[in-house]
Amino acid sequence: MDDSDEALMARIARGDEPAFRTLSRRHLPAAIGLARRILGNAADAEDVAQEAMLRVWTHAPRWQPLAAFKTWLTRVVVNLCLDRKRRAAWVDLDKAGEIVDPTPGAGEQAEADERERLLTAAIDKLPARQRTAIVLTYSEGMTNAQVAEVLDTSVSAVETLLIRGKQNLRRALAGVIDNKDE
Amino acid sequence: MVMSREQFQDLLDGYGADPTHWPESERAKAERLLDSDAEARAMLAAGRRLDALLERHTRVTQADDDAVGRVVKRLAGPLPRQQMTFWRWPTVLLDWEFSPAWPRVAALACCAALGFYVGIAGLDRPLDRLNQSSIMSRDISSVVFEPEGLTGAGP
Repeated sequence: MDDSDEALMARIARGDEPAFRTLSRRHLPAAIGLARRILGNAADAEDVAQEAMLRVWTHAPRWQPLAAFKTWLTRVVVNLCLDRKRRAAWVDLDKAGEIVDPTPGAGEQAEADERERLLTAAIDKLPARQRTAIVLTYSEGMTNAQVAEVLDTSVSAVETLLIRGKQNLRRALAGVIDNKDE
Repeated sequence: MVMSREQFQDLLDGYGADPTHWPESERAKAERLLDSDAEARAMLAAGRRLDALLERHTRVTQADDDAVGRVVKRLAGPLPRQQMTFWRWPTVLLDWEFSPAWPRVAALACCAALGFYVGIAGLDRPLDRLNQSSIMSRDISSVVFEPEGLTGAGP
């Protein structure tokens, strides 16, 4: 039996719940990870992933395989994250603990942790769309065209988001980026 | 045409510090700037450090089994109604599984075909094509009505 995403979606469109469970188990780890990276909050990320998969179920009869299923799901997750960001207050940076390795250390490790904390703070302060563009570019390895497809915007708009996002990061991380410690 | 440092910085921010990701139209100009300008080379080095930092920092780690299990458990309940579009209905009807009823469907189709054939071949045959002599030789007295007693009307 064809077990591709597209074949499973065709079965889900006919109300096949086992196919939905299979597709969910396949894509939930990445969906939760992406939502966690954008939202900086594990509980919210699980809520978003659940909502995204429910949308997969309800929209399956209308889904057209014009793009890869993963791209479509990424768009759903990103849009839900941006909606949540718009509605909710900024997450307290101290609570985004899962992003920073909490292992205590001394010397270089402490410096690295401090740099990570500063970077986390700087990225969290970015406007949601700038942050999302950066996450999709660097974590998912997407091209500007792919990011534009996910964000439902133009390539030049993505370019602008990345330029402004990195300008903000450079301002916030002055002195940190210049350290040649990579 | 010469690329300015500001334009080069925008190129680094918009496409990253890997020259293979730069648009073809900009790459030659950027490389000419890099050949001639030490400041541009420093900007490229800083861009590479920022890229490396972001790649490492934003790396998405897949959720662990516990997190996935929690979401799967929440999805185990009754699922909401699916959104069906009008154009989808014919497909849904065609997708219906008829296999258990095939013998009955075939029997129904045979009956329909037989009835159709009988209807076409027998009952609707025009009278002028019937054998007139066989009709005249038949005793049809039983179907001739007697005149109506009261009115005197006859056939």
